[in-house]
Amino acid sequence: MFLCLGVSVMAFVLTTLVPGDPALANLGDRASSDPQAVRLYREHFGLDKPVPVQYVVYLNNLLHGDLGESEQSRRAVRIDLAEYIPATAELAVSSMVLSILLGVTLGVVAALRRNRLTDQIIRVVSLGGMSTPQFWLALVALYVFFFKLNWVPGSGRLDAIVLPPPHLTGLYTIDALAAGQFDVFFNSLQHLILPACVLAAFNMGLFTRFTRSAVLEVLENDYVRTARAKGLPELTVVFRHVLRAASPPIVTVVGLAFGNVMTGTVLVENIFAWPGIGQYSYRSATGLDLTAIVGVMLFVAIVYILVNMVVDILYAVIDPRVGLA
Amino acid sequence: MSTAAALSNPVSSAWRRIPGAWRQPLTLIGLVVVAAWLVVAALSPWIAPYDPLAQSPHLYQAPSSAHLLGTDELGRDVFSRVLWGARISIPLAMLLVVLAFLIGGTLGGLAGYLGGWVEELVMRGADFVFAVPTILLAMAVVAALGPGLFHAVLAVVLVSWPGHARVVRGLVRTIMQSEYVAVGRLLGSPTYRALAVDVLPNIAGPVSVLAALETGNAILLLSALSFLGLGARPPDPEWGSMVSTGAQHFEAWWIGVFPGIAIVSIVLAFNFLGDSLRDAFDPKTIIKARGA
Repeated sequence: MFLCLGVSVMAFVLTTLVPGDPALANLGDRASSDPQAVRLYREHFGLDKPVPVQYVVYLNNLLHGDLGESEQSRRAVRIDLAEYIPATAELAVSSMVLSILLGVTLGVVAALRRNRLTDQIIRVVSLGGMSTPQFWLALVALYVFFFKLNWVPGSGRLDAIVLPPPHLTGLYTIDALAAGQFDVFFNSLQHLILPACVLAAFNMGLFTRFTRSAVLEVLENDYVRTARAKGLPELTVVFRHVLRAASPPIVTVVGLAFGNVMTGTVLVENIFAWPGIGQYSYRSATGLDLTAIVGVMLFVAIVYILVNMVVDILYAVIDPRVGLA
Repeated sequence: MSTAAALSNPVSSAWRRIPGAWRQPLTLIGLVVVAAWLVVAALSPWIAPYDPLAQSPHLYQAPSSAHLLGTDELGRDVFSRVLWGARISIPLAMLLVVLAFLIGGTLGGLAGYLGGWVEELVMRGADFVFAVPTILLAMAVVAALGPGLFHAVLAVVLVSWPGHARVVRGLVRTIMQSEYVAVGRLLGSPTYRALAVDVLPNIAGPVSVLAALETGNAILLLSALSFLGLGARPPDPEWGSMVSTGAQHFEAWWIGVFPGIAIVSIVLAFNFLGDSLRDAFDPKTIIKARGA
């Protein structure tokens, strides 16, 4: 709660420091030369009041679930967000799943093959994922798989001729499955796979590094040696004994990595013309749309806090020694 | 573990482990690549075959012996622009890591040493920054101040100080509570001596790891902002904005691909360095080496 308030203050202060005049940025040339129009615009958005008053008004609206009105789309930021969030959620969740599966697997393998060739190769791959600019990776992937090979469709969430499935969750893959429209499902999956993979690269690397060091630490314990001495199959040792004990740090880093995904979506959504909040926030930032930026920041911060609360709860589930204080 | 070992300053053993880290082939590769880019950044006016801003009638030329990496949409030599790009990205990234460390390290050191409300204030501030994705915050800062390379640097400093603050605070707290500092105090040595002899050298290791990793991340974030048009402005041979130009000329892939490879190579090199330094400075491996 305190954190939310802090984020709202910080985001608000930041965006009111704008030296560029949002009225001039959004009204267009002819309107901004008309003082009457500029005055009306300022009054409409409350920009004529002193800054602290603006903030109090904003905070009051916020408590009523009102994020204000976007100066670009002329709609409530809440409605804008509701429209764009499902697209980002679909992309972010699928990339997270991908990076966790890949990262944890590679990390475990690297730890088991410590300092051998496999470990070195995985080290290069994982650090490579963390070192590649996502905007560049997205472009190269688009060039190779769409432009040259034509394996995947280009941008957007669906082909232009395909109608979105009936709205249920806003996640096209799930909605299509629920409606039994398998052609739509496969189309949306084809559109999803490339941006999701690009987005997963950074976190895949991160999870690999963390899993490796967490597993290495556990492997040295006596009970792992005992399990092996008992003649348990290696897979059982890894899954039942090692991975469970190694999971708290991995779960923590997964929670923190949520921020990386949001950073990635801004870039990846722009390149793949993915209509999510990443693209929305970029448009808002370039359009000096302060209400919209503050709204996005606030929303993302709340999700981040929620995700990390879930992580804390998971901690207690994984490790019985941790109580839910 | 003997009492003497428990009371000795762990820093000396950490430094002794560094030569071991250098024997890793990837560390060596990282070091060589970083050094090579530093040389390129220093000498680019002399080694670049063309003026990075000079336009020519040879537009969209594929890589050839005359233009190693081809030419762009204004007939500029991509190879020369990539070389000059090192002069922009590397010094700026290092500058902002130093700035972020000075701010974050000071705040984190104060928080760890003083505790109380100072610590509360600094760490809550760090939490705010952590809760908002870096690029969103940086975008807001740049949008607020106006696009430009200098503003982009400020924005990245603003989002990266908390990492340093957290590390330094944690280290200062652990070290100030450790037995060898307590022994020093019992023997009557002043606080500044504890800070200078025990705290500073122990911070140096982890901080150098963080600096190496952060330099790579700083280059990534700066180029991302430039790619979005919020950092360097078009004629500048900045890697991120060159990739952005390449995105508009898909058929001429060399315009965008090579600056990207430049970014990958230097960031990867910094990450190789950081990764092996981390192994050397990991307190757990140090304790293990001492037989605990």
